[in-house]
Amino acid sequence: MSDGEGQDLGPLPAGRHGYSREQVAHNQRERLIAALAQVVNERGYNEITIADVTAAAQVSRRTFYEHFDSKEACFLGAFDVVVEHLHRLVEEACRPIPDWTDQVVAGVGTVLDFFVAEPELARLCMVDSLTAGPVAAERYRDAITGFTPLLHPGRARRDSSLALPNSTEDTVVGSLASVMTRAIVSGEGAELKRLMPDFVAFVLMPYIGPKEAHRIADEASAA
Amino acid sequence: MRALPGESRRVPAGSKPLARKDAALEQRRRILRVTADLIAKRGYGGTTTELIVRRARVGYGTFYKFFASKEAAFLALFDETFETTGAVIAAAYGGEGDGRPWAERIGAAIRTFYAAIASDPQLWRACLVEALTAGPEVLGRYESSIRELAGLLRRGREESADAAVLPKALEETLAGGIVWIAYQRLVAGEAATELPALLPEAIQFSLSPYLGEREAAAFAARYAAESPAASP
Repeated sequence: MSDGEGQDLGPLPAGRHGYSREQVAHNQRERLIAALAQVVNERGYNEITIADVTAAAQVSRRTFYEHFDSKEACFLGAFDVVVEHLHRLVEEACRPIPDWTDQVVAGVGTVLDFFVAEPELARLCMVDSLTAGPVAAERYRDAITGFTPLLHPGRARRDSSLALPNSTEDTVVGSLASVMTRAIVSGEGAELKRLMPDFVAFVLMPYIGPKEAHRIADEASAA
Repeated sequence: MRALPGESRRVPAGSKPLARKDAALEQRRRILRVTADLIAKRGYGGTTTELIVRRARVGYGTFYKFFASKEAAFLALFDETFETTGAVIAAAYGGEGDGRPWAERIGAAIRTFYAAIASDPQLWRACLVEALTAGPEVLGRYESSIRELAGLLRRGREESADAAVLPKALEETLAGGIVWIAYQRLVAGEAATELPALLPEAIQFSLSPYLGEREAAAFAARYAAESPAASP
């Protein structure tokens, strides 16, 4: 990196600014990711260009290429960051809670709250990832699978000796994700939290049955 | 009149009106076929009118005779696919007087849906996977199709002792799940081979909330015998 990097930093003052090289790079990467989320929301993944992203991030094209190989790579970077963040939020919310069904309530609430608070990121994850090429679609699929471990403890709660199909957790999470996608696409993203009782019941049903699931979901929404 | 490039199969003037009409339908069919294949491979954004006409071996004039734009072609593709498939699924589910148990009708409906997808994965990649990019009109159709499927499932509440405690949005969610199972295979390029084998799971998943797990599993198991994966 040459010393001429000063003018790439936008709002950061050129020259000596007290940031380490790593901090600057991290800051730039975050800015690019935030900028990508913003322009994708405005115009859709297929319409935007790298120039759109760098303009919104106020960095140079060269800086973009220091962090990402392509528009797609930047998108995937953004997607991965958001999913990782979601996992962290859910884990933090669930950690202090001993009972699995209460964890489900906390986890579902955390995800819905996050998407309501961050509509651009919600759209990026739940809509744009499905239309940003085959690699993004695969990442989305992997992200769905990534949340299934949260449901597995439910199997220990089952009364029945019947085996639950292996794909159950994946199908449950995928189904709920598809409902969220359609809600966001229909412009109802701000009201996602309303889905809370239905979502909790849907997650719990295969493990504790519809009656118990309904009771817990009802209690959770009254709280 | 000189034939336009790609119109080597023009029906000559003076032919019987029926033959001309068939030729026109064939061109239209070819344009839509090519549109589906291109969208499946390149996405909606990567599919241009130029690519369509070239691959369909028609002139622009012919294309615009049938479709005002590539968006119109995609909408027609989507509409006609969902209408045809919707009709086939409805037929499999059966009408008012159908005396079969509801579970059997749902099983037939889902089996028909998955068979349609497995028989033409390219078309369904275009219609299911790419539909989200294609604008509000297509999305509206997509939503209605989900609602139709949900409608067939909702009848299951009459079978259930627990109907009052079932989530309000259960049917929309289950319909989303049925599509999700197919979507994953389409994305992975495995729909033709894998989807039929997933029919029992999809059926069990859809029926469990209404029939209870034991009955749903027993019923779904019948479909395992049909799938090629189960053959000894």
